[in-house]
Amino acid sequence: MSKENGTSGCEVLVVTSGKGGVGKTTTTATLGSALALLGQRTLVIDADIGLRNLDVILGLENRIVFDLVDVAKGKCKPAQALIKSKKSANLYLLPASQTDDKDVIDEEQFCSLLEHYKSQFRFILIDSPAGIEQGFRNAASGVDRAVVVTTPEVSAIRDADRVIGLLSARGIESLLVVNRLDPEMVKRGDMLSLKDVQDILGIEIVGLVERDESVIVAANNGEPVVFDPKSKAGRSFEKIAKRLMGEQIPIENPVAPTFWQRLSRTLGV
Amino acid sequence: MATGIFNRWFGRKSGTSTANAKSRLHFVLVQDRAGLQPEELNSFRREMIEVINKYFQIDEENFDISYQRGDETTTLVINSPVTLKRPEKVRPIGEGKKNRDKDNKSIANKK
Repeated sequence: MSKENGTSGCEVLVVTSGKGGVGKTTTTATLGSALALLGQRTLVIDADIGLRNLDVILGLENRIVFDLVDVAKGKCKPAQALIKSKKSANLYLLPASQTDDKDVIDEEQFCSLLEHYKSQFRFILIDSPAGIEQGFRNAASGVDRAVVVTTPEVSAIRDADRVIGLLSARGIESLLVVNRLDPEMVKRGDMLSLKDVQDILGIEIVGLVERDESVIVAANNGEPVVFDPKSKAGRSFEKIAKRLMGEQIPIENPVAPTFWQRLSRTLGV
Repeated sequence: MATGIFNRWFGRKSGTSTANAKSRLHFVLVQDRAGLQPEELNSFRREMIEVINKYFQIDEENFDISYQRGDETTTLVINSPVTLKRPEKVRPIGEGKKNRDKDNKSIANKK
């Protein structure tokens, strides 16, 4: 199912979406953390030059010395730019630079950059910027597969479809993550269902993440939800990680809360 | 407001918006995937109306193009309210034969 990884045994995935704000960075950080917790040496790369955020979601914002542009330009050794996660010894971050120039590196330079790290990691996840310009083209270079993130909303789905087409034109297979699904709204007919989204986009679903407040709390604390045993979203990301590792786990069937669950929620119980 | 709470608690189905979302998405995705620009789509629509207008009296306001998705193919569906053929000029009985003979003669001459 996955492309030949060559001799390096490393799988490189770009996490992208087209639309901004649907959960690429959260997915990269949390999925990366989940893989690391499952024993996989994982590198997450922030490819959003000028608008870095992966560091903040991982709580590593005060540890940045060098970034990926420094590595690409040879201003530091590749290892010097890596930041080890506070929560898992298997997880490393290569941060983006905050320079204004989004076109400062090109696809060839990005591919060479990846080559520095492939031998040391089992998984490399690249957090792509929103849009389909140079930043996206860089992030989608040298990758084996793509994780496309969408929400069950009209504009997100449209952009996801576009991105899937662009990736397919480069010979890159896409796996879909549907984020922020609200089972109650789906039941009421106010939100597209998982099946609707799958029918429309027509690609394999690798994960479903329901709308979950714990994700926002996690971002506030700089600790991805997979480290929170009470977080439902955390469990979903764990399953996505396992599926990427080859385990056959069926996609969850989102169930709307019962009348009594909703009642207790309304009453704040 | 009370009905809102009632509906929320008892999960009454309130939405038809997803049906709209699906058909609208389908419409834009076919456009995006086929690479048709909005102007091309407009030209197509105008030309279709012209062609149909040659044979039928068409109700332009209610003329509609949509895309329906089957399992493997997409079908272009054209919804065009019409009245039947344009009313012919009514000719009195008997004159028809005379005119037909005249026509036949002219055809024969042309040969």
